[in-house]
Parts: sequence; structure tokens; C-alpha cells
Amino acid sequence: MTSAIAVKCVTGKKSNLAKEALLEMYRRMVMIRKFEETVYDVYSRGTMPGLAHLYTGMEAVAVGVCSNLKATDNITSTHRGHGHLLAKGGKPNRMFAELLGKAAGYNRGKGGSMHIVDMSLGILGANGIVAGGMGIGAGAALSAKVLHEDRVSVIFFGDGALNEGLFYETANMASLWKLPVVYVMENNTYGEYTSTERSTAGNGPDRAEAMKIPAVSVDGNDILAVYEAARWAIDQARAGKGPGFIECHTYRWRGHHMGDQGDTYGYRSQAEIETWMKKDPIPRFGHQLQTENLIDAAGLAAIDDEVQKLITEAVEFAKEAPYPDPSEIYEHVYP
Amino acid sequence: MAHEIVMPQLSLSMDKGQIVNWLKQTGDKIHTGDILLEVESDKATVEVESVESGILQIVMGPADGEIPVGSVIAYALAEAEAPVVVSSTVLPSTKTVVDSEPVQITPSSGGNSQQLRRLPSSPAARRKAAELQIDWQQATGTGRDGRIKERDVLRFAQELVESASLKIASSDSIQLTPVAKRIADNFGLDNASLAKLIPGKTKIEGDDVEAAIRKLVGERQALSSPLASLAPIRPAALAAPRHEAMGAVRKRIAERMMQSARTYAPVTLTTEIDASELVCLREALKSDPHVTAAPSYNVLITKMVAKALCEYPVLNASLEGGEVVYWPTVNIGLAVDTQRGLVVPVVRDVAVKSVNELTREMEDLLSRAAQGEATGDELTGGTFTITNLGVQDIDAFTPIINPPECAVLGVGRLRKRMAVVNDQPAVRTMLVLSLTFDHRLVDGAPAARFLQRVKELLEKPYLWSL
Amino acid sequence: MSTLERIGTIREAINEALHEEMQRDPTVILMGEDVGLAGGVFKVTDGLLKAFGPERVFDTPIAEAGIVGLAVGAAMTGLRPIAEIMFCDFTTLASDQIVNQAAKLPYMTAGQTKVPMVVRTAMGAGRRAAAQHSQSLQAWYCHIPGLKVVMPSTPADAKGLLISAIRDDSPVVFMEDKMMYNQKGPIPNGDYTIPLGKVRVHREGRHAVVICTSSMLYPTLEAAETLSKAGIEVMVIDPRTLSPLDTEPLIQAAKEMGHVLIVDEGYRSFGVTAEIAARIQEDAFDYLDEPVRRLGALDVPVPFAPSLEDLTIPNAAQIVELVKEMLA
Repeated sequence: MTSAIAVKCVTGKKSNLAKEALLEMYRRMVMIRKFEETVYDVYSRGTMPGLAHLYTGMEAVAVGVCSNLKATDNITSTHRGHGHLLAKGGKPNRMFAELLGKAAGYNRGKGGSMHIVDMSLGILGANGIVAGGMGIGAGAALSAKVLHEDRVSVIFFGDGALNEGLFYETANMASLWKLPVVYVMENNTYGEYTSTERSTAGNGPDRAEAMKIPAVSVDGNDILAVYEAARWAIDQARAGKGPGFIECHTYRWRGHHMGDQGDTYGYRSQAEIETWMKKDPIPRFGHQLQTENLIDAAGLAAIDDEVQKLITEAVEFAKEAPYPDPSEIYEHVYP
Repeated sequence: MAHEIVMPQLSLSMDKGQIVNWLKQTGDKIHTGDILLEVESDKATVEVESVESGILQIVMGPADGEIPVGSVIAYALAEAEAPVVVSSTVLPSTKTVVDSEPVQITPSSGGNSQQLRRLPSSPAARRKAAELQIDWQQATGTGRDGRIKERDVLRFAQELVESASLKIASSDSIQLTPVAKRIADNFGLDNASLAKLIPGKTKIEGDDVEAAIRKLVGERQALSSPLASLAPIRPAALAAPRHEAMGAVRKRIAERMMQSARTYAPVTLTTEIDASELVCLREALKSDPHVTAAPSYNVLITKMVAKALCEYPVLNASLEGGEVVYWPTVNIGLAVDTQRGLVVPVVRDVAVKSVNELTREMEDLLSRAAQGEATGDELTGGTFTITNLGVQDIDAFTPIINPPECAVLGVGRLRKRMAVVNDQPAVRTMLVLSLTFDHRLVDGAPAARFLQRVKELLEKPYLWSL
Repeated sequence: MSTLERIGTIREAINEALHEEMQRDPTVILMGEDVGLAGGVFKVTDGLLKAFGPERVFDTPIAEAGIVGLAVGAAMTGLRPIAEIMFCDFTTLASDQIVNQAAKLPYMTAGQTKVPMVVRTAMGAGRRAAAQHSQSLQAWYCHIPGLKVVMPSTPADAKGLLISAIRDDSPVVFMEDKMMYNQKGPIPNGDYTIPLGKVRVHREGRHAVVICTSSMLYPTLEAAETLSKAGIEVMVIDPRTLSPLDTEPLIQAAKEMGHVLIVDEGYRSFGVTAEIAARIQEDAFDYLDEPVRRLGALDVPVPFAPSLEDLTIPNAAQIVELVKEMLA
């Protein structure tokens, strides 16, 4: 991490957000956690088709960033996109229906987990291609500039995507033309089954700064730290100063995808996982809220129940929804 | 290179023609100058000569009805040239290649068929063969590696048709004896039906037709009730009402008759004349050895009518656009009955011609007209018409004026009758004349006076010397 | 020369289309390497930077994937970007953006998104530019559902089709033959468009039909004249839009002529000619008097040596020979 344009790390700082906003952030993290764990459950029973890449453990990044955004701001997501989608306001029932390939899903069952889009929430999609959101996200920022629209474009990506050429091509142009892009690198130390140590020469912030994009690095499990870093980057992008880059250190509890269970690929230890599980961002934040007297244990439990009920209903909705009719197969090839 | 033979323009007003009869057949070798066919125009039937030489390929015939002038009716092909495929669309059409009954040849059965199926052929060739109901495997391939292509199937089809059609005489070329024709007409059998019933004969006699009819009856009886076999053979039992399109000549006559009936104010006067002196005159002329050709009654009557017309010019006039046009010459049309209907050849300037001249001219003209061989010019330009139904034993009648003329004289038969001469009964040769005149142009009295003059001249030939 | 049209080159036609559409629709932007200040390496985009300014005409770094990637994102969020990829050979670098993103987003999102983007690129051999600058990769993009592929052969077609492509809500790969920018032809005056997905018949015929794409029109017309002198009349049809293909008139022509030749500058194997031939044999089988014949570039990387390169490109003499062979 370098010097002059970096903002100092924000850790454990007293927040000056309104109580409702903070509680909503907590609630959103809980929603993501319960959604992902339910996916884990349903998938494990063999009742969910395709692939699922779980966000469990990384909730603070998505929620911390998206709490700064308006509905009109754009985000692009990754194959591990459920967290971002829910953080941006995506509906659990329509998302779950999409995961099951039902017509009631966001994409009428034609996209599945990795391609969910909700244009009304500015969600330009999860993407099945690593770094696939880079071009789309920067392009959305380009259109905001050309059309003089107040729209920031947040690109979520992982440490693996950092090494894709498309990042450099598009970030270079974003920096050159001062596009309103925010790069959010979710460094969970593994690109699939290969650690960053073994795959990445240097680090994300340095590479960003090499392209004259100011960068910070934060604890990705500290939701308020993420929030503050994101706000800095989003504000300066919105002010026309060009892109910003924030690296969030975090960890995924579950495997790369549902097929990566236990020691199958032997690339990380149980001990490591457990270490990170102790840094669970949700109880950490919950504890912080209690300390600030913003909520009590009963209140947290109530949020938990409410969200659980929501998720349970979402799954029921999805299970009962019908599959798309075969007659739809040729629809939407061309708009 | 195939030369086109087209429907010729036989007169200025002709735009369509009806093929009456091909005098040559498909496959015949023709030379320039050969008479190929007879065509009926709106005026007459004309023989058409060939301009080309070659092998004849007939494309249109009598059954095609009225054909526009300039349309192709046949081709003159070079030696060994393939017949022209007549088509009107880009997709090769098979309309005129195959006759109404396609010839069917089934492939040989047994072990051979397996081998034959491997002949290289194109899908188009097989599809065409299916359409034409012929076996493509019998065609000779001219494509790469002997592949059978569509053109090979088409050529094969034509060969089949040509070889089959030589066995069936074309209905155009059969000839019927008068007896045969009469029987066939009675039973409503046209040439096409006869050709099918009596295959292989070009000259058909009465016996042939009767045999064919008996055969036909026999076949039908096999299908009908037992009682029918007891009934006598009636024309009605065999013949359906016969439909015949109006020929060009008939149509024209119909038009002109209607025109006359609609626009004229016709009145007919009749008078009976004593033609005894006329008869004597003629007999004398006929028996005189110095007279090479004695004038006929028609000649004499025509001459006298012309003389009278010179004295009564209004009967030699026409009403045109509100004006009376007095024609400078007397051109007399003579009604002639022909097979195709009434034709009226015209003798021009009768008044200045001698009887001898008229005799010669009218003999030639009338006989040609009777054959339908009068030229176009000879059928126009009349100023007065004479129509003679004496041969058919008619006395008085109401002839219709031939527009745009003013009047027409109908001549009845020469008939010996009891008459009164000088208060005494006598046998005289009498003749009734019927004059129909246009009352728009001339009144009854003057018309009657004209008729009276004609009567006078015919009753008293000695007046001719004046 | 009527007052309803004038003679212009394909270059001029494309330039006009770009000018007119950018004038008419403020959401149209142009991006690519050297397209602004330099007016484009083939001088096709001359004058556009001056007319519309750097807010709408972008000289990009050399980053094909990035260029098309940005175009995709911009197209999803309210713009109609025209991304120029200098040589179609370089579209390989942008394949993911074209094939995995642009082509699929509308379908995968069940119509929630649309990608009204045009990728303009130059194809074709004959320039002695060697293997990596001379390909004709239309078959690749025709193969992908969700893309449209357009190849104009005349100035009038170029202008009308490009305007339609810009206005189309689907991603369109618009392939221009780099050897044909100077080709002259009539261009109608005034506003006009040519709909995508419609063939153009250049010549009526009787004995055979030749279906040709892009610059292959010219050797085909030349061959048609030569054949005409020998009494063979060939119909000449240019599909213009390769995908979606206007198959119906091609089937009809095949049925009427019974003899079909297809000419395309892509490599002969596994290409456009094979697809059209397959469709024709499926639907016009019973009317074919000969197998459908194909003529494409030789199945070799395009060689540099002029003597060798010229051997790889279909020419009029080859077309004449093939047609005569079919009709023999």
C-alpha cells in the first residue's frame, strides 16, 4: 500500500450512521448468511441444478459497499454473486426461483445463479466469466458520463480476476477518461483452488495505483471499515475525479463451489477455515451494535427470526413455482 | 435451330385465326411452298404455305380455338434436332410434352431392380420422372459419369410420346366419307372421338363409324340395365347435345344481321314477274353454237338490276352519318351459300361490263366463293345485294339488307304456272322478286317504281337493246 | 444519372451513415483505435471527431477486449456504441465480450437487458497483409445465437445496412471488406435504410444461381458476364445479412435453377458456404440437378507472397469453370 493518495485504514471507528441504517446493514448480512446456508442445504439434498458459489463469510463486503449506493447506481457481480445481489436489494424469492430454474426467477430460469440481473436495482449481473464484470461495469460508467447521468458503477471482483487482462484494459481506460467506477477487490486469498501467494506477483492496490487509480486496503470483515472506504471511493467517483480501488481482505467459509467440499482439492486446511470463522463479521457487528446500545440480544434474535421466515417463504415460493414453458426457448435471442 | 411457324395475318382486320385442318403431320418433312394447313379468318378459309423447310413439329391445332395472330403454332426443326419443349414458366413445364394419357412403363421386376437403383441420377431427374409417370431408370444419362439429369428424363419422355403418337392417328388428319360424316354427325361423334374409337385409320367410311357405334353401345349396355338392350338405337341414346363454337364467319354474319335489324327501317315489296321471255332468251343463247358461254339467270338478272339502279340511284346509296352517299359505281354482291355460311362476293362496276364479261367474271367468282376461296377484296365494296333462293324452291321472302347498302333483291324460283295472258289461261314461267329497302333513305313508291323497272326489263328483254 | 442518387465509394457511404446516425441520435458513440484524430486507418471515420467531439468519439488504447467490453456495458445502460476493431483478425482478442457477453446477455436475462452495439471490423485478403491481417471470420460469428452478422458489398448497401445495424437492438458484427473501400456505386440521396435479414438479387438468370457474400459479388458478376456470352445465364444473389439468413429466396432460387454455387471469402471448410449448402439441400433436395457447389478461400493461413495469396482468393475464372462444370 502506498502513500500520498491513500486514505488511512478505518478500523473500529465509531460510526455516525443513523440507527435504522445500521440495523438494516446488520439485517442484510443476516439475510445473505441465511440465504447462502439455505442454498447449501437445498443443493446438498440434490434438489438444485447447476452450480452454486457461496458467499458465506464475506457478507460485510457486499453490504458495506452497497449501503452507500442508490438504486440507480450500477453494480456488476461475479459468479459468487448472491451476496451482492441481496445487498443491492435483490428479492430472495425471485433469486431462489432463478437458482431452481423456475419461470418466476429474475431471468425466467434462463440464466441461473451466475447471471442474475435486475435492471430496476441497477444490478448489471453476476457473470460466469471471471472478470466478466470489468467491461460491463466500466461501460456503464462510460454511458453515465456521456449521458450526464448521476450514476456510479461498482465492480466487484476477486483476487483471481485481478490477473485477467480485461481488468487492465478497462481500468486503464477508466482512469484515462475519469470514468465513475469503483473497483472492489474481494481478496479471499484463493482464486478457485490456488492461493494468491502462488498466483499473484505484487498486489491489487499497487497495480491500481500504477494506473493512477487511488487505492486503499481494509479489513473486509469489518463492515464499517468497508463502508467508509467504499464511501470515499464512491464519493470521489461521483464527483468526477475518476475511479477508486478498495481491497477488502476477507475469506469464504465454503468451498469455491458446491462441488468443492472438505478436502477434495486439498488446497486449504480446516484450521485455516476455523481461524476465519472466528472473525465472523455478523456477530462482530452485532456485538458492536449492542455496545453502542443500538439494539439488544432480543432485538438481534428478532431480526434473525424475521429474516429466517423471509428466507423460508422464499424457498417455498421457489419450489412451488413452475418451470418455463418449452415455447419460451426461442424468446429473447434477439430483443 | 428451330424455326417458328406462326398464325399468319390473312387480312387487315384479322387478329385471331382458327386452325381448320393441318394438311401435314408432326414429323413430316416440309419444304418452302408446301401447303401446311387451312386457317379460317374472319372472312374466309385460307390455305397457308410454309416459308420454312425442315421437320414439322405441330404445337397448336383446331382444338386450340381462336389463336392470336403471331402466336407460334408449329416449328420447322432441323434434321435430327430435338423437339422444342414448349413452356411458359422458368420451371420446365411438361404441358405440351406429354399427351393427355401418359405412357406408363413399369421397371423390370426381379433381381435387376437392385442393380438399376444404383444408377447415378439427380433428385430433380427423379422428381420429374415421378411427375410424368415414367421410369427414370430407362433414361440415358448425359451428366458427369453418365448421371441421369432432369434434361435426360425430359428427353426420354418426349421420345416415348412421339413413338406412341405415331400409332394413334392425330384427329386432325382423319378423313371421313360423306356417309361416314352424316352418321357421325347424327350420333354426335366429332373427329377426336372417332380417332379414338377407330384407331389406325386415316380414311373413315360409314361402315367404320357404324361398327364403332355398335361397339360403343355394346360397352355401355354392359354397364346399363337389361331393359336398355331392347330399345332401338336412337341418336339421343348415344349423343349428348353437341356443342359447337361459332366459327369466325358465322360470328361475323350474326353481327351484321343484328346490326342491320337494329338500325334499318326495312320494308319488303314483292312482285311476280313473267319470266317466260327471259327463259326463251336464255334457251336461245344456250343452244346457239356461236355462244361459248351462255350467261346464267344470275348474270342476266344482275345486269338488269344494275341498269335499273342507274335509273334509280337512291337505291344504290348509303346512309352515313346523317348524309346520303350516292356510290359512283354499281357493285353488286351476290349471296352465296357455303359450308361455313353465307358469303357475299362482289362484282364491281356491273353497269359498264358486258354480259360476256359478267358471265366470265361471275362464274369464276361465285365458284371460288362457294369453296371459301374468295379474296378479302372480293368480299367488300358492294352497293347492292342480290340473293337467290330459287334453287331451294323459295318464292317470296324477306331478305335482310346488307349494311351499309340501301336495298337487297331476293330472287325466287323460276316456276311454270298457270297465268292469264290476254284474258286467256296460259302456262308461263313465273318468278317472284322480293325487294327489301331502307325506308329511311327511300319511300315505298320510288322503291316500288324501281322494282317495277326491274320487272319490266326482265319481262321484256327486247328493251335491253335500248 | 438521376437526381435521386449519386455515385460514391463504400468508404463514403459508411462515413455518411456514421455522420447521419450520430447526428440523429445523441446516444450513438464511436470508439476504437485511431478512429478519432486520425480518421481511422482506412479513413472511414474521417471528420467524426471534429463533428461530434471527444465526448462521443473515443480514440482508445490498443485493448480490443476492453473496447468491446466497454461497448457492451455502455450498450446495456443507454448508449448505442459503435466499436471499431481494426482487422477482423483482432476480434479474437475480444471474443469473450462478443460471444459470451453481448450475444448472451439478452437471452440469459430473459430480455431484461439489451445490447444495441455494433462491432465494425475489416476483413478480406488481397492486401498482402499476411495471415494475421487477412482473415474473413464471418462464419465464427454467424455460429453464435444472439449475434447478427452483416456484410455489405455495395455503397448503397453499406450505408443503408449500417444505419439499420445501429438502430437494431441486437449486437451486430458489421464486416467491411478492406479491399473494397474504394468501390464505387450509386448511393440514394436522402434518408433511407435497408432492413437486415433480406437478400438482394443482383442479376436474374435461368440456368444456375450463384450466392455470393461481400466482395465476392464482383468476381461473380464478372463471371456472369463471361458465362452469358456462352449462353449461360446465372442468377446472382447477395444475402447481405448472413445471420439471420434470409433463406427462403435462396431455396426458391435453388428450386428454380437446380444448380447452385456459393462463394464466400472465409476458409472453405466449416464455413458460410457449408451452412447455406446444407440448408439448400435440406429444403430443395428434390429440385437439385447437381450437388450444391462451394467456393471459398483455400484452407491455408493467408500467405504473404502475392503469387501465393492470389491463389487463395476465389476469382471469376474459378466461378465460370464451376458453373460450366455443373451444367455439363
